[in-house]
Amino acid sequence: MATRAFQRLPTAPAGRILALRLVAIAVSLCIIAGVLALSGHSPAMLAELILRSTLGSRFGLEDLMLFMCPLLLTGAAVTVCGTIGLWNIGAEGQFYAGAIAATGVALGLHGPVLVVLPLMTIAGILGGMAWITVPTLARAYAGVNEIITTLLLNFIASLLTYYLTTGPWRDRISGAQVSTQRLSVSMPEMWGIVHWGFPVAIMIVVGLALVLSRTRWGYEIRMGGANPEAARYAGIPVRLRIISVMLLSGGLAGLAGMFEVAGTVHRLQGGMANNFGYLGIVVAVLARGSCLNVIPAALLMALILDSGIVMQTQQLSASVILAITGLILFMIAIGDELAHYRPVATTPAKGKA
Amino acid sequence: MNNPVSPAGPSGMAPGTPPVLQLRGIGKFFPGVIANKDVDLDVWPGEIHALLGENGAGKSTLMNVVTGIYQPEEGEIILDGYGQTFTSPQEAIRAGIGMVHQHFKLVQAFTVAENIHLGWDEAPRLASPAVMEARTREISERFGFPVDPAARVCDLSAGEQQRVEILRVLARRARLLIMDEPTAVLTPEETGELFRALRAFRAQGNAVIIISHKLDEVMEISDRVSILRGGRKVGTFRTADCNPSMLAATMVGRDIVRRNMRARPEGAAPIAPQPIMQLRNVSVRDDRGVDTLRDVSLDLHGGEILGIAGVAGNGQRELTHVLTGLMARTSGEIVLDGSVVDRADPALFAHAGVGHIPEDRLRSALAPSLSITTNMALREYAHPPIGRHGLYDAGAAGVLAHDIAELAQVRIPDFGMPIRNLSGGNQQRLVARREIRIASRVLVAAYPARGLDIGAIATMLGYLTDLRDQGVAVVFISEDLEDLLNVSDRIGVMFHGRMMDVIDAENADIATIGMLMGGREPTDLQPGGPR
Repeated sequence: MATRAFQRLPTAPAGRILALRLVAIAVSLCIIAGVLALSGHSPAMLAELILRSTLGSRFGLEDLMLFMCPLLLTGAAVTVCGTIGLWNIGAEGQFYAGAIAATGVALGLHGPVLVVLPLMTIAGILGGMAWITVPTLARAYAGVNEIITTLLLNFIASLLTYYLTTGPWRDRISGAQVSTQRLSVSMPEMWGIVHWGFPVAIMIVVGLALVLSRTRWGYEIRMGGANPEAARYAGIPVRLRIISVMLLSGGLAGLAGMFEVAGTVHRLQGGMANNFGYLGIVVAVLARGSCLNVIPAALLMALILDSGIVMQTQQLSASVILAITGLILFMIAIGDELAHYRPVATTPAKGKA
Repeated sequence: MNNPVSPAGPSGMAPGTPPVLQLRGIGKFFPGVIANKDVDLDVWPGEIHALLGENGAGKSTLMNVVTGIYQPEEGEIILDGYGQTFTSPQEAIRAGIGMVHQHFKLVQAFTVAENIHLGWDEAPRLASPAVMEARTREISERFGFPVDPAARVCDLSAGEQQRVEILRVLARRARLLIMDEPTAVLTPEETGELFRALRAFRAQGNAVIIISHKLDEVMEISDRVSILRGGRKVGTFRTADCNPSMLAATMVGRDIVRRNMRARPEGAAPIAPQPIMQLRNVSVRDDRGVDTLRDVSLDLHGGEILGIAGVAGNGQRELTHVLTGLMARTSGEIVLDGSVVDRADPALFAHAGVGHIPEDRLRSALAPSLSITTNMALREYAHPPIGRHGLYDAGAAGVLAHDIAELAQVRIPDFGMPIRNLSGGNQQRLVARREIRIASRVLVAAYPARGLDIGAIATMLGYLTDLRDQGVAVVFISEDLEDLLNVSDRIGVMFHGRMMDVIDAENADIATIGMLMGGREPTDLQPGGPR
């Protein structure tokens, strides 16, 4: 009699991964509902409240888009770096560096929006690039592990922001704590409080997907990431490509910081990166190396963040949201792994082993 | 040729002394591959026994059987006259068989003393570092392998790490030490030290099996030599009765059927008088300061196949890499199309029409996780129709992949799937066709027939002669003398990084090639010259 067994295949079809991820999310939601019910909350009421205040209302949707905007860019930053096989753990620091550079332009330069805003954008991108320069050169020329160097620079950027917002750039007008004054220029708004950074971020993500799949540079990056030895064999200058990709990655995270300063917060604040850099890693992992997948991944992450805020209004602790994020990611990881398995019919071994 | 000597052991041994290790009719099969078949081997106390054979001859499998990593399907293992079966490496170690692998199995972050005691049932419980180091020092002095017990393994040179590996085995009372290519990572001085220590070990009545394909080392260290070819033992010889050229010929030779594939069809390109590529006194020195290519001069002519013979590891890899721009030369000159090439730049060589089928093609010529289409575009992505104005045309790449697959006669259900889903043989065919496409001037093919079945080998050789007829210069590196003699116009023989001689293939005789492969100078081989 034939028995059923499972065999692990090296690749998993995308449709299967998606289906299993939906199952994983559903399972996570059931677990969360169970725990909430046990602790005396009504899961149904909470679910309704969350849906109404995120997807179900205009204010909710606006909030969602504001959350998505930086996540799209930091997620793309980590994804593009991952294409050449490197991990940019420093999007958080590059986010701050971009925010600081953009704020510096806005505080120091007074002129028409049409002049100042593009300059802030350039400054934000250059700020992020500058922050990743040392890890980039160390990686390309000395083989220093970029995970460590990019991560450590995060703390420096964060503390530099605190220094600036409590020291030289502190708010002398309204006296707000750990913050600069409100900037005189801001990103124009597109829909409610959603600024133009959101569609720009979407276009950047789509553009990157095209660049990676439809340009010579993108081909070289993919080859360099998949097998550096084969890339060298084909004469691809892998070192130069590493430098360009890492700088691009830093620039994207810096741009996220600039959008946040100019579009959402309108000032530089200590702690304003709000883990967007680290969550960019989560988004990239969820996107499985595909730029287009960054969009739904960022949406999922934004939903989780937004739900957290709603739940805090219901006397649930802020750390609940971290636990929920962890649970969902854990379940999705299990689902992704299971997608590799296929049932195979086997006949029981007969005779000698 | 030479007949195997009788299996009797070295003289001067008490009558009735059994061999340390006897193998009788060992057979080991993997799906579709006979790794070993009918292998008999005797290893006596007080001898160093060399095991010689080309890559894939079954040496490592046989030793894995002896050390309990594999269980043989056929035959028996007899230790000191008693039959044994090992179900795990631990049992083999307890029986006194220790193996030092080519790639060391040490914990890099641990000290020497910790590595020696790791997983050793005689290690004292709750031993302090001082106790372990004292024990290690004692072991090191007893066996004559000096080590620093407190040093961390990651700080040691390859030779020192090997000493630790050997001590690990000897401390467990091994009487039979098996070493897999022990000198591959050693400097000449370290090799000398190793050989001295092995002789001392032999003097105590122990036995050593040394796997190698370095002929002069086999001549220097071993008492007897057994040669494997295609998984079977060809014979066992007293080293004193051998010479390197005879060993080389026995190792690679088989009953050679000479078929002349040099005949050109009507309209084929003649051998071009002007060389396309020239190497002038090219040498390469590696990171360890070893000269891997010494003063090699070669002319590659269009319409000609230049065969390269030699025992693996005598500079073929470096020659391939220099010819394709993957490795910089240390001295000498490379001339391509009449102009000197200064930089080692694989893109420049590929652009000039130099194709390259590398030896480890699945690892270095493909990206396993990317699609078949993407992999097939690797050589032409920068040129129209795929590459235009910095763009990459995925549609054109798909057309190219279809063309290559059709020529290679590989049926592919989905060009978008990762190339690692294809079998190794199919991946190889695709790489070969991809390289032939760009090889408008030169094709460097390193062991292109390795791992293919007989039909596929014939197809591959046909590809080479077709290219020759189109006027391409083909460099064909192989360890198969039959293939080399059948298709090559000239054959260069490499030994220790030197091009010993380049001879006319038509009139070449196998004995001469064997002697050159074993390191004989061509001047010694001239008729009338000193023999």
